[in-house]
Amino acid sequence: MGVEIGKQNEDEKVAQQALKAGDWHLEGALDIYYSQPQIKTLTDARYLEELYNRYRDPNLDTINADGITNLCNDLQVDHEDIVMLVMSWHMKAATMCEYSKQEFIGGLQALGQVRVDSLEKLRERIPYLRSELKDEQKFRDIYIFAFGWAKEKGQKSLALDTAIGMWQLLFAEKQWPLIDHWCQFLQDRHNKAISRDTWAQLLEFVRTVDPQLSNYDAEGAWPYLIDEFVEYLYENGIFQRG
Amino acid sequence: MITLNSSMTIQASICGVLPSLREKHDEFMLRELVKRWSNHKVMVRWLSRFFYYLDRYFIARRSLPSLNEVGLTCFRDLIDVEREGGQIDRALLKNVLDIYVEIGMGQMDHYEKDFEAHMLDDTAAYYSRKASSWILEDSCPEYISEPKLLEKVQNELLLVYENQLLEKENSGCRALLKDDKNIIFASWIWLGGRSVPDVQAYSKVTKGLEPIGNIFKQHITDEGTALVQQAEDAAISKADNAGGSHEQVFVRKVIELHDKFMTYVTDCFNSHTIFHKALKEAFEVFLNKGVAGSSSAELLATFCDNILKKGGSEKLSDEAIEDSLEKVVKLLAYVSDKDLFAEFYRKKLSRRLLFDKSANDDHERSILTKLKQQCGGQFTSKMEGMVTDLTLARENQTNFEEYLGQNPDANPGLDLTVTVLTTGFWPSYKSSDLNLPAEMVRCVEVFKQFYQTKTKHRKLTWVYSLGSCNINGKFGQKTIELVVGTYQAAALMLFNTSDRLSYSEMATQLNLADEDLVRVLQSLSCAKYKILLKEPSSRIVSPTDYFSFNSSFTDRMRRIRIPLPPMDERKKVVEDVDKDRRYAIDASIVRIMKSRKVLGYQQLITECVEQLSRMFKPDFKAIKKRIEDLITRDYIERDKENPQLFRYLA
Repeated sequence: MGVEIGKQNEDEKVAQQALKAGDWHLEGALDIYYSQPQIKTLTDARYLEELYNRYRDPNLDTINADGITNLCNDLQVDHEDIVMLVMSWHMKAATMCEYSKQEFIGGLQALGQVRVDSLEKLRERIPYLRSELKDEQKFRDIYIFAFGWAKEKGQKSLALDTAIGMWQLLFAEKQWPLIDHWCQFLQDRHNKAISRDTWAQLLEFVRTVDPQLSNYDAEGAWPYLIDEFVEYLYENGIFQRG
Repeated sequence: MITLNSSMTIQASICGVLPSLREKHDEFMLRELVKRWSNHKVMVRWLSRFFYYLDRYFIARRSLPSLNEVGLTCFRDLIDVEREGGQIDRALLKNVLDIYVEIGMGQMDHYEKDFEAHMLDDTAAYYSRKASSWILEDSCPEYISEPKLLEKVQNELLLVYENQLLEKENSGCRALLKDDKNIIFASWIWLGGRSVPDVQAYSKVTKGLEPIGNIFKQHITDEGTALVQQAEDAAISKADNAGGSHEQVFVRKVIELHDKFMTYVTDCFNSHTIFHKALKEAFEVFLNKGVAGSSSAELLATFCDNILKKGGSEKLSDEAIEDSLEKVVKLLAYVSDKDLFAEFYRKKLSRRLLFDKSANDDHERSILTKLKQQCGGQFTSKMEGMVTDLTLARENQTNFEEYLGQNPDANPGLDLTVTVLTTGFWPSYKSSDLNLPAEMVRCVEVFKQFYQTKTKHRKLTWVYSLGSCNINGKFGQKTIELVVGTYQAAALMLFNTSDRLSYSEMATQLNLADEDLVRVLQSLSCAKYKILLKEPSSRIVSPTDYFSFNSSFTDRMRRIRIPLPPMDERKKVVEDVDKDRRYAIDASIVRIMKSRKVLGYQQLITECVEQLSRMFKPDFKAIKKRIEDLITRDYIERDKENPQLFRYLA
């Protein structure tokens, strides 16, 4: 389903409008078709809606987990691929495993300069989505977004298992050398949900404190859990106190 | 051959030194020594490249020991002369000292071993001697008026030998401190410091007070820590027989220690701030250590309880009680967990008040006044409320009895005393929904009716666990009055209608939780007085047991008290205090942030500790946790750009 096919199948009414405006000359009509934004939006929206309908839950007006699995299959990405987080970020999805119609269509519309109104186009955008993780500022936004996205609705904090899963996903990208120790520490010592503040500050920690902890300030405002983690690293002989 | 000759020359010259030294005396001897030594050095300089070995050999083997001794004796005499105020040649002393250094070939060990050690011993001995003769001959004020002494003290102690005297073991000042002749020692220092007229010298001397303050502090800390250790040992050895008296002894000893050093501070150091501070800091160190698992806060509260309760371990006169209370309150100033003290104190106060164990109302109020003066009104408001509640309860009881007199129909036929307490003043008690015997239910109803005539808007919650009952047990041989708790009474009353009951039947009929019922049955069937017979007979109550009334029970007394085993309250107290602290920290952070709007992390911590220090010393980790909790609850937020900054969210 490319743009050309879409054009062939496009609504007769729109085509007629364009042809009429172009005095029934095909060349002129095409020019008008491509230069008139409202017409374009209209057609985009129609195709996006079609795309949406393809994955939506037959009983509810959302795309749910099954729909997302199908979408991932069609896009040929694993549904646990971090790129799906980036896509959800673009869609401003409120929660994991679910896209509302508005989120899905709005997100795809916002997804950049090239119109994404077909699966092919979307698939072509995936390398770009992946590259966005390399951008420091965007990564930060995505990281912060991930907390709200991954937590259960109505909860203030993020369940530990989910948090660990998300961290492994995100920091595999960042290649933080202490990630395994961090997850091990959480399971050994903490075993509780993660607050938004701790979530946000961990990225600060990863960004600003070097992996040898040489510039870590125990007197600083780091969340309690992070202080404990540093203690844990020393206690378990992973680092020697300098 | 050259070697032999030259060595002979040197030997001869050194042998010549000794006789020539022996001829001279004192200062002249040392002058000669210095002269000879420089001659010797010149000689040695020329010969040493050939006779390095011999040079060292002879000095070490022959000359040096005797040289050493003679030199040292004269030298010491000279120092003593100086101590007595005589004039000596300091340059000469310096030269002699250099000899010792040079003998060591640039190493300091000869100086340290041969000279300094002797010198320090000698100094220590000299001042010990002086101290004992002074304490015999003169009184403190005479030192004050003795300018020569002041000068000497200043010269010797504070300027010339300050470091040696203060820091070396066995130095003059250490010896005096250990001999408990601190008074004299302290007087010197203080008087020396204060009476120096010119500012420059004064500043030197004032700086001199700091290290002395530190030694003073260290000395007190050591003694205090030793007391803590003693108490620990006593606690371990007494662990088997549950005697709590070592705690009492500990507090007594700490009070004595405080008295002793406070006297030094006020009488000898003229209450100089440096020494007050030293005393305070020393006590803060060892009083916040805790003894054998109990905190000092708890020990002090227990100590007060023992003084204030009837039949406590202390038998004291009124004055002695007042004095002890005064001192305990003073010690409390050094304890950082004042809130923990308050909680333990309240627990014990409530027992004294409710079980009529308080020996004297005046003492109770007196210590509260002292605590209030020291820790503020908030600290004691609950305790005062408790004492007042009890006074009001007595009035209330009189009214109740009048009411019963006026309404004979209402009279339940039992003597009933109700103590109405104000929620909030008292420690929280578990109120369980015990099924009372019918007789008692009627009592409760009557009192409720009476209470409603007095006030409409108060709700009464009955805490049966604190009640006590006198019931008559009609045993085979004689009737005995049993003084028991309400729970125990309710359990016993069940046997008016049944001969034999299972544990579970009793649990259902009484509606008591297992933890309470086990304690009740334990006290009635497994302890000293076996009012109930347990099947099977054993020392532990289990849910499969059966119980029956022991009609053959008897005792030589007509009235017996059957106590319930006490519950360990310590854990609950500590938990309660922890919870209260969380609220206190929360409130403090919100207060600070509300007025400052935006504040850095360090400042927030500092202000929070400052605000709370009157009650306890919050751990910065605890504050951190509360900050994070307040972020979660949207009271404050972390600044998006600067993680060290917090903002108040209105």
